[in-house]
Amino acid sequence: MSTQTQNRTTQNKETLRKATPRKETLRHPWQLVAHREISTKLRDKTFIGSTAFMLIIVMAAVIIPALIAGNNSPDKIAVLNDAGAKVVQTADAINGGDSYQVTRAADPAAAERMVVDGDVKAALLPGDNGYLVLGDDRVDTDLQNSLREAAVNLGMEQNAAQAGLTPEQLRANTQVQERLLNPGPLPEIVADFVNIGLALVFYMTALGFGMMIAQSVVQEKESRVVEILAAAVPIRALLWGKVIGNTVLALSQIVVIAAASLIGLLATDQADILEVLAPVAGWFVVFFVLGFVALAGLWAVAGSLATRQEDLGSTTLPGQMILMIPFFFSVFAGAEAKTVASFIPIASSMAMPGRMLTEDVPVWQPLLAILVLLVATVLIVRLGARLYERTLLQTGRRLGYREAIAIKAS
Amino acid sequence: MLSVAGLTRRFGDHLALDDVSFDVVPGRMTGFVGANGAGKTTTMRIILGVLAATSGEARWNGAPLTHEVRRDFGYMPEERGLYPKMKIRDQLVFFGRLHGMDSTRAAERTDKILGRLGLAERAGDVLETLSLGNQQRVQIAAALVHEPIALVLDEPFSGLDPLAVDAMVDLLRDEVTPEVPVLFSSHQLELVERLCDDLVVLSRGKVVAAGSVAELAAGPTATYRMVVDGDAGWLRDIAGIKVRDVAGATALFDVEAAGQEQQILQQALSRGAVLEFGPERVALSDVFREATR
Repeated sequence: MSTQTQNRTTQNKETLRKATPRKETLRHPWQLVAHREISTKLRDKTFIGSTAFMLIIVMAAVIIPALIAGNNSPDKIAVLNDAGAKVVQTADAINGGDSYQVTRAADPAAAERMVVDGDVKAALLPGDNGYLVLGDDRVDTDLQNSLREAAVNLGMEQNAAQAGLTPEQLRANTQVQERLLNPGPLPEIVADFVNIGLALVFYMTALGFGMMIAQSVVQEKESRVVEILAAAVPIRALLWGKVIGNTVLALSQIVVIAAASLIGLLATDQADILEVLAPVAGWFVVFFVLGFVALAGLWAVAGSLATRQEDLGSTTLPGQMILMIPFFFSVFAGAEAKTVASFIPIASSMAMPGRMLTEDVPVWQPLLAILVLLVATVLIVRLGARLYERTLLQTGRRLGYREAIAIKAS
Repeated sequence: MLSVAGLTRRFGDHLALDDVSFDVVPGRMTGFVGANGAGKTTTMRIILGVLAATSGEARWNGAPLTHEVRRDFGYMPEERGLYPKMKIRDQLVFFGRLHGMDSTRAAERTDKILGRLGLAERAGDVLETLSLGNQQRVQIAAALVHEPIALVLDEPFSGLDPLAVDAMVDLLRDEVTPEVPVLFSSHQLELVERLCDDLVVLSRGKVVAAGSVAELAAGPTATYRMVVDGDAGWLRDIAGIKVRDVAGATALFDVEAAGQEQQILQQALSRGAVLEFGPERVALSDVFREATR
């Protein structure tokens, strides 16, 4: 090719460009693909429906327990006289109010009847050298402790007054405060719950969006629109558009759900959980994005290997396994196995954030895990992109992964 | 100008294209004909870059086709397909933008083309709710929306009734500016003969004929047809002409030099009445059969 011809070509092209000045060079066709992916999903009733459903479930999980706890009307305690009533009122104050309510009984026999009939939770009767708590088959430990504390406080104040001491003098130098050097994260049961919850969020989101990515790819193959797309933009741009579009959608879905549960927690006065969750949230996002992107590349390949929706069952199987095995492992395995899992790519996205919540994890561990995950993500996405490029336009029949790796670039 | 040079493509042992070269001249419609499996779709897919050539290349104004140039092409693949669940207007705007238009311009063009196709009031409808004929129109619109600098259409008229074909041809004529080369493949030879300026005939992966439709139809030698009152068998004894066929009073023959036919005519008149005499236009289907034999 002579330089002259080259020049002419450029010139010709320039004149054509001038003739159609409306055309602008779009630098990132993947943005368009991502944009289409997002706007299509946002109009998809199934997607909106499932997001709303998840939102309701999460809100319910946050709010309903609080409502049940909060709705408890004060326990009624039967007393015979003002002294008893004062003890119950003090116990109520110790518990922050709305816990116990005074019910007057005429005599011990009446109080006993009220207890047996279930009209009151318990009865506080004058006893030898103090009080007697009367219960039916048992007395709640909380109630017992509160009443005991109240009775002791009141009694000691009275005794002190008789001895000429003010309540302040009485309590001088008896305050015991608490300071933790390594504030323990969460109560164990809550920790387990949050642990499983975090892994579940990743598992559900990666699986749900993964299937959507595979479906969206196979739809383009099935409807043959892929041929036009491939003629207009590089196939890699199609892949990146899909991966990025769906990652943005998945993260937004999580943010919306997180915001909803945040509002729920604040509204129901459970904000203290946040103090524990907040430092891990940033880590979770990093692990989530990297793990999600690596998987998204594989899901896209699962779609491009298939030729019809029905093929997805078999082509997405490896992706499902890659998610399911680490999920059950990171949820149910013992502490040491969990530690190992928290460094293995994909599994680490499910295990590490949970571990950081429930254990003291030195900061190098999540950093190392992220590094390993990052390397794995780059490798998986590169392999995925190559397989995707080679198989996307093969519309003849379903391909296997081994076959796809053997295909030469065409 | 769009051209392919020495295009060869193998699928395993099968040689699908064997050194295929031809030009698609700007402003002319080039018909691309050949039997099933001759390699038309393979050639078109290589031009659009969705399939790689084993050797040879597609060129634009003499230089190898780049992705940037291809992006301005309009393409209608053999296997039709758009997004079935996307609204047709959104869909066309998306394709316009994918081909490098800004959104305002893409929207303008979409509305104009939908109007021309009589689909303006269906703009907000989902593609799959349209009739197949209308879906085909949208498909053509998708190839035209970005004001392509070249058009490659694989069987654009298959499955359309004659009226729809006419509407589509009008659209092509109006929407395609004179500097745009158009290559389209078809099985319908009468249609190709009616629409095309140039013709490329492909057979088993090889170009067996290429040139303007007029040239190809005329053939290398002029053929004449004569009907006389009596028997025309005497033609066989005349030197310098090639008799293709004599059946009683009707004869078909080729002359080698211009003017020779006048001598034949005089001779025929001297023998009796001449009922018909004139050049025989060869139907394209005969050219096709001849070339692909």
